[in-house]
Amino acid sequence: MCKDYVYDKDIEQIAKEEQGEALKLQATTSTEVSHQQCSVPGLGEKYPTWETTKPELELLGHNPRRRRITSSFTIGLRGLINLGNTCFMNCIVQALTHTPILRDFFLSDRHRCEMPSLELCLVCEMSSLFRELYSGNPSPHVPYKLLHLVWIHARHLAGYRQQDAHEFLIAALDVLHRHCKGDDVGKAANNPNHCNCIIDQIFTGGLQSDVTCQACHGVSTTIDPCWDISLDLPGSCTSFWPMSPARESSVNGESHIPGITTLTDCLRRFTRPEHLGSSAKIKCSSCQSYQESTKQLTMKKLPVVACFHFKRFEHSAKQRRKITTYISFPLELDMTPFMASSKESRMNGQLQLPTNSGNNENKYSLFAVVNHQGTLESGHYTSFIRHHRDQWFKCDDAVITKASIKDVLDSEGYLLFYHKQVLEHESEKVKEMNTQAY
Amino acid sequence: MKMEEMSLSGLDNSKLEAIAQEIYADLVEDSCLGFCFEVHRAVKCGYFFLDDTDPDSMKDFEIVDQPGLDIFGQVFNQWKSKECVCPNCSRSIAASRFAPHLEKCLGMGRNSSRIANRRIANSNNMNKSESDQEDNDDINDNDWSYGSEKKAKKRKSDKNPNSPRRSKSLKHKNGNNSTGISYETLGPEELRSLLTTSFSALSRSNNSVPIRSLRCPQHTDEQRRTVRIYFLGPSAVLPEVESSLDNDSFDMTDSQALISRLQWDGSSDLSPSDSGSSKTSENQGWGLGTNSSESRKTKKKKSHLSLVGTASGLGSNKKKKPKPPAPPTPSIYDDIN
Repeated sequence: MCKDYVYDKDIEQIAKEEQGEALKLQATTSTEVSHQQCSVPGLGEKYPTWETTKPELELLGHNPRRRRITSSFTIGLRGLINLGNTCFMNCIVQALTHTPILRDFFLSDRHRCEMPSLELCLVCEMSSLFRELYSGNPSPHVPYKLLHLVWIHARHLAGYRQQDAHEFLIAALDVLHRHCKGDDVGKAANNPNHCNCIIDQIFTGGLQSDVTCQACHGVSTTIDPCWDISLDLPGSCTSFWPMSPARESSVNGESHIPGITTLTDCLRRFTRPEHLGSSAKIKCSSCQSYQESTKQLTMKKLPVVACFHFKRFEHSAKQRRKITTYISFPLELDMTPFMASSKESRMNGQLQLPTNSGNNENKYSLFAVVNHQGTLESGHYTSFIRHHRDQWFKCDDAVITKASIKDVLDSEGYLLFYHKQVLEHESEKVKEMNTQAY
Repeated sequence: MKMEEMSLSGLDNSKLEAIAQEIYADLVEDSCLGFCFEVHRAVKCGYFFLDDTDPDSMKDFEIVDQPGLDIFGQVFNQWKSKECVCPNCSRSIAASRFAPHLEKCLGMGRNSSRIANRRIANSNNMNKSESDQEDNDDINDNDWSYGSEKKAKKRKSDKNPNSPRRSKSLKHKNGNNSTGISYETLGPEELRSLLTTSFSALSRSNNSVPIRSLRCPQHTDEQRRTVRIYFLGPSAVLPEVESSLDNDSFDMTDSQALISRLQWDGSSDLSPSDSGSSKTSENQGWGLGTNSSESRKTKKKKSHLSLVGTASGLGSNKKKKPKPPAPPTPSIYDDIN
């Protein structure tokens, strides 16, 4: 009579059920359903959008205030009080709480605590930190519980003094990893030695070390798990820097000004074949003799979050100093040239793929930078954090201010955190799920 | 349009274009209609405006980008008054002084052992002026946010019998590292000051340093002498130890001088070689007969201490159950080579 379209709840419910049945009939394998037939025309969607029910509507009407994570909102950012030389800890906390995949894990409450005493679990404390930092509360948070727990569980760090942020990061990851016992996601039966906790899934990469015997060219390979990559810098008295010609100068979109070292240069040096001198002869297992050898490091497995550490603090026999050389680092990083598989294809004489191929597997985006100002003895840590996709913020203990990308890229850089752009399923068929992390 | 009746090859351009236009119009119309239906449905069911943010919230959470203010629009440096509660001693501490406080509270600091030993000496020998002494200590500690009057009032009531400070003066903890002092956690300097101003029988089984008297109150010197001779032969009696042992019956006037020596850092008593060799000498087990001048000097100190120690041993015995002295006995003889 009013000639308007009506929507009847019951009929729609029936329709939904029927569509679900129809989809099930269509599917031949489960993977096909999820990847291809999410929305089949005529059959509706397997995963329809959520719609409110009447009582929910009423409730929402009574409470009109909304919080959204939009690009102009402060939700997700919060300062941290310095408890007395704890700026190193504050920076690492800011970096970890703005790691997208870690944030998703904790904000969806995925941690199941299995520690005998809940107050001693660092993962639970991390969880509550996330809640605090994403609460929208403008006054800075006091992370005293975190400090206490870290001192209890990592005794070598305990004590009121200035400390190294990188050391703290490794210790914190280690304690979190140990406390993650209850969170074994997925089938743990594959490999009893391989822990499947969230820390390992996110941060653990595999560093492959190939030692080639000079006599018989037999290669001995070991793969070590690593949480970060520590890079030597030019100007340190322990490193030897063969500055390779800038053939691939704009590999990663870095501005290659001659004289300025880039992150890619450091990585190239890291993965170069190193000739171990005659004083370090190694017994080769294939020719059974002591021979000189070359060693080469490459990445076998890339972690979801890659942390690069510039070795700026030099503790050599001659001197102790901080190397303040500026290293240029990119916003987007492609790790393909440094992979073990790339090295193999190079050695086999295969044509090296142009770096702008459609292969997104090894592409990373910068999301956090930790900087150190000052000298080796005394200094201050601050960090730059990426939030809301493309906005950057400077975190200086309790004070958070907006920063530009230029500020970030011009900063000295001590710890760099990169996040994989494309996350993969761990399925046997290795199908890529094109979920954009950023 | 009856497409099936015509063949496309027979058509001229304008007709083709008309057909293409119509297909295009159909597509556009369908998608628009689809969109209209969605909106209509949303309005009808009431959720169309649901996810809009209200203006109040927009203002509350807007990022501020002005010089001198942080993103919340707050001025820098106004957070001096933030406080927190220490998880160890449950006191309220100023947030910016929390780390140094926690260090002392957990007994990890460079000064903690010194202050604790001062307390041991004070509490056992000067009961009258105990509270004054300890107030002086705490004023130097600099980790309280309250005034000194409050400190004096809170002194007694705050003594938690389970706090690490108390346990330093009390029992010998067998492998109970949470309240005892594990010598691994002490730095070399702390360890040196601890071991030289305190009692250095190192329990090797659990690597903790028991803070108690070298002199066991249950045996007499005669007994000790006979056992020593039995184990080490008649030549093993060391003159320096002996001479100080004869001073067993000391009088209280001497104790004042001794206490003042103890209270002091003790660092100049040690030879300069100590600072270089701190780690190795300590870790190799104190009292395994290291024949350097260092050990002899400290043995002297030890023996002096033992005199005081007797008193403190007796004193502290009142507070705790007497423990069987059998375990420390072998270690004493390891120390006094």
